[in-house]
Amino acid sequence: MSAALTILGKDLRLRLRDRSLLMFAVVVPLGLTVLFSLIFPDEEGFELTAAVVDADGGQVAGGFVDGVVPALVDDGVLTRVQVTDADEARVRVADGELDVAWIVPEGFSAAVAAGRPAELEVLVAAGRTLGGEVAVGIAEGFAAQVEQVALAVAVDAAVTGPASPERIEAIATGAETAPEAIAVAELVAGEEQRLDFTSYMAAGMASFFVFFVVGTGVLGRLEESQHNTLPRLLASPIPPAAVDLGKALGSLVVGIGSMTVLVAATMLLLGADWGPLTGVAVLVVGLVLAAMGVMALVGGFARTAEQAGNFQSIVAVVLGVLGGAFFPIPGEGVLVELATSISPHGWFLRGITDLVATGQVGAVLPAAGALLAIAVVVAVPAVWLQRRSWRW
Amino acid sequence: MVRGSRLDQVLVCSGLRKAFGELQAVDEVSFSIARGETYGLLGPNGAGKTTSISMVAGLLRPDAGEVTVLGRRLTPTAAAAKSAVGLVPQEVAIYPDLSARENLRFFGRLQGLDRRELDTRTDEVLALIGLTDRAGDRADTFSGGMKRRLNIGIGLLHRPELLILDEPTVGVDPQSRNAILESVEDLATDGLAVLYTTHYMEEAERLCDRIAIVDKGRIVAEGTRRELIATIGEHDLVRLEIDGDVQAAVEQLRGLSELGSVEVEDDHIVCLLAGAARRLPALLGAVAEVGAVTTGVEVREPDLEDVFLHLTGAALRD
Ligand SMILES: Nc1ncnc2c1ncn2[C@@H]1O[C@H](COP(=O)(O)OP(=O)(O)O)[C@@H](O)[C@H]1O
Ligand SMILES: [Mg+2]
Repeated sequence: MSAALTILGKDLRLRLRDRSLLMFAVVVPLGLTVLFSLIFPDEEGFELTAAVVDADGGQVAGGFVDGVVPALVDDGVLTRVQVTDADEARVRVADGELDVAWIVPEGFSAAVAAGRPAELEVLVAAGRTLGGEVAVGIAEGFAAQVEQVALAVAVDAAVTGPASPERIEAIATGAETAPEAIAVAELVAGEEQRLDFTSYMAAGMASFFVFFVVGTGVLGRLEESQHNTLPRLLASPIPPAAVDLGKALGSLVVGIGSMTVLVAATMLLLGADWGPLTGVAVLVVGLVLAAMGVMALVGGFARTAEQAGNFQSIVAVVLGVLGGAFFPIPGEGVLVELATSISPHGWFLRGITDLVATGQVGAVLPAAGALLAIAVVVAVPAVWLQRRSWRW
Repeated sequence: MVRGSRLDQVLVCSGLRKAFGELQAVDEVSFSIARGETYGLLGPNGAGKTTSISMVAGLLRPDAGEVTVLGRRLTPTAAAAKSAVGLVPQEVAIYPDLSARENLRFFGRLQGLDRRELDTRTDEVLALIGLTDRAGDRADTFSGGMKRRLNIGIGLLHRPELLILDEPTVGVDPQSRNAILESVEDLATDGLAVLYTTHYMEEAERLCDRIAIVDKGRIVAEGTRRELIATIGEHDLVRLEIDGDVQAAVEQLRGLSELGSVEVEDDHIVCLLAGAARRLPALLGAVAEVGAVTTGVEVREPDLEDVFLHLTGAALRD
């Protein structure tokens, strides 16, 4: 064990002196996160500029206009702009002057009271995808409470969504009572489980680059062969396995260390949201172990350290893209599910998303379990491949 | 040709064999080295020197045979036996991003030196290899000769009983080379057993008490320089420079009795024979008989190159 720790200490010293490692571990991922959040500014600062038109004036409409909306303004999510009527709102949304507008049409409250289908219109300016989803989510949350209200969602001022039949149901007797204002956090998190852009990029970049960071260490003997130092290590009076153990520990420490620096830096410098830190720690350890396993397996097919580095890069990039480390994989379906399920990056991002959404440490368990499972599944063949280098 | 009692022997190798696929890289190699003795493996590139040394240092499992160091069988897990060996690999084996001192201390720790020993030995070795002034500098700023010296220093750090040096002067400028040879001479006088491989005859002649001539994985001859040269017999070496049909002249010379061997080397004819001065006229006569003219004659004592040529029919250096 002490020999393994000596080798670990030597490797950490070498890594700290290695500029390229510092680049890969911290500078590049942090830089890319900053760059991406500059290119795609965070819509989800939720400074939505919005207008509400109450053409109805009734009691149910009042629940939305005087209950939900002021609560959102108080929470700093909305900047409310006064408009005179629905037409003005349409024009200003079309111009992009407003991000969103909600229009409660005339007869809305009466329709609700009479059990007839009622429609709440949501207008979204072109390109405000995330803001639009939030606006729809807010309206849906309200509609869910009033039950029979259908939503008409208009993007870029073109009406697209007809009222869905399920929403048109019998009048609930209690419907006259204006619904309680709905908490924004519930609306946003409950409906749309996603991270804000900066947090997503921070988690994506950190997970992408940690694969490169742990890559060299798990090559173990190949890396030592590069300096011709392997014979010297093996000729020392230490158990041969200490060489492999020491180098694996080095990868673990450097991987966890670089992730920790990135989590801290993106939190402090960029305001990224990672959720409760205990949960983050569990996911980070899981990801680093999975990355070590995958990189060791891939490296096991190589004859030289250089070749191994090339194989590893290819696999790290493919898994990163599949897992959505750069951008969420669009679309749904079995293939997308499968792609993200084989990618440690995908599980890590899923874990962080769940963690942030729920604020519960326990929410990381499925993702952490999957990461550990990947680590074990790849470690077995990786060890089997390395075994030829352990033969005396 | 083992000298002294077996207890005196620091290293005993017996019947070492190693094949890589079809290639028999090492074939029945046996030798032993006593305390204070410098033993040389002399042979051309690819003769199997590094492969033999890898088995001696416990890096490579022999297909057959065994290695004992101070009476203990050497295996990858035999810590005591391995501690007695200092290996200086053929390729410089240091971390370029660590300083000379850090390199020494790292390998010293792996050898199990405690803090005090580590401090004193590091300083001693730095002085010995002349790197005290540069101890704190990263190894990648060193010249080739300095790296070689550090490479040797690491092998010496833990005061091994047996030092293995695998072609330590390859690619080194003449000045550093001389410094390395001198320090190896000093080490042997301190009682260290040294196993030295080289393809330079002069190094083997200068350093080694005993030399094994290695070719194609086999030890073809072993002994002191004198003994090896004596394997040629009480022969002199005659080098003839001729103008004419070299091949015909060689055939004619081979017809003469009492000639040890006749070989062609760089367009010259090299003959081994006893009593050269007396037999020279007969040689010149044989050359003249095939219509060639002798333009130069050189008679000298044979050296290890000639022994190698005589034993293997090939030159030591290509
Ligand atoms: N790991 C190996 N795999 C295959 N062939 C090898 C290996 N190591 C050495 N050889 C071959 O064995 C022979 C002896 O090599 P080596 O011991 O390095 O010779 P030397 O050190 O005397 O130059 C050479 O022909 C070399 O190509
Ligand atoms: Mg060699």
